Amino acid sequence: MAIGLFFAVAAGALVGMQNVFNSRVNERTGSWATTALVLGMGFAASLVMGLVFEGAGLFAPKPMEMWFWFSGLIGVGVVTCLVQGMKRLGPTFAVSIMMISQLSFALVWDTFGWMGLEKVPFTWQQLIGVLVIVSGIIVFKLGGAKEPNTETKTKRQAG
Amino acid sequence: MKGIVFAFLAGAFITLQGVANARISDAIGTWQAATLTQLTGFVAAMLIFLFVRDGTAVQLKQVHPLYLMGGGLAAFVIFSNVTAIQHVGVTLTIASLLIAQLLFTFVIDGMGWFGVKKQKIRLPQIIGILLMAAGVVMLKM
Repeated sequence: MAIGLFFAVAAGALVGMQNVFNSRVNERTGSWATTALVLGMGFAASLVMGLVFEGAGLFAPKPMEMWFWFSGLIGVGVVTCLVQGMKRLGPTFAVSIMMISQLSFALVWDTFGWMGLEKVPFTWQQLIGVLVIVSGIIVFKLGGAKEPNTETKTKRQAG
Repeated sequence: MKGIVFAFLAGAFITLQGVANARISDAIGTWQAATLTQLTGFVAAMLIFLFVRDGTAVQLKQVHPLYLMGGGLAAFVIFSNVTAIQHVGVTLTIASLLIAQLLFTFVIDGMGWFGVKKQKIRLPQIIGILLMAAGVVMLKM
């Protein structure tokens, strides 16, 4: 449990930092140039880390399913939808909705155990917990906001 | 309305991405999963870029090299995200991730790090983070 929470918090901090870096790139160039660069860097870093930890074992044959080859496209879907959403709603509102949707889907996912994930039984307490977090997101994002902050300027997750 | 649908889908895709990464990691290993999905995503984004051509190398030269390498953080994001999902499930992972993300961004804004314009800390942001933390405690009680 502690390990899981530690990694979740680490991921969140890294995403926050990456969003700032990515928006610095995006200030100078277009969305797709930025996305291609970000994913290219992600690939290079993953490859290097994989080689460091596993050496040639990184390329050992593994039981591949067809869809593994296409799941990288989800990231392209994220960028497309987010850019379109921000264009129509502005960054603050779009990112708020995105975060709320992210969390709601997570709860549904755990409840149904889709894609072979371990089922986490639904409880009302969980739903209330999620709703309290959602209200926190809304207060944080929309409470007296005058200017969009860095995080909302360009939100891009290449994970 | 259309904007809301797009933003909603973006969030759904991010969660889907985390779960897909966790599933692929179970089958072939976490670094393999990160390498594969970043590569296929890169190829797709590159193809779209070649079609829309919305940037030039000259523009990228104006950006500080540190920021150009930000994408590399994804390797660690994916590893951490997958490890967390395997240990505590999707809901608690995403909830903690979002809090850490907002909190860290809040600190960056407050301190003016990474060339960000320094912003005043506002009360609603503190209340928002406290509410989110309370929600996570409820999830786990």
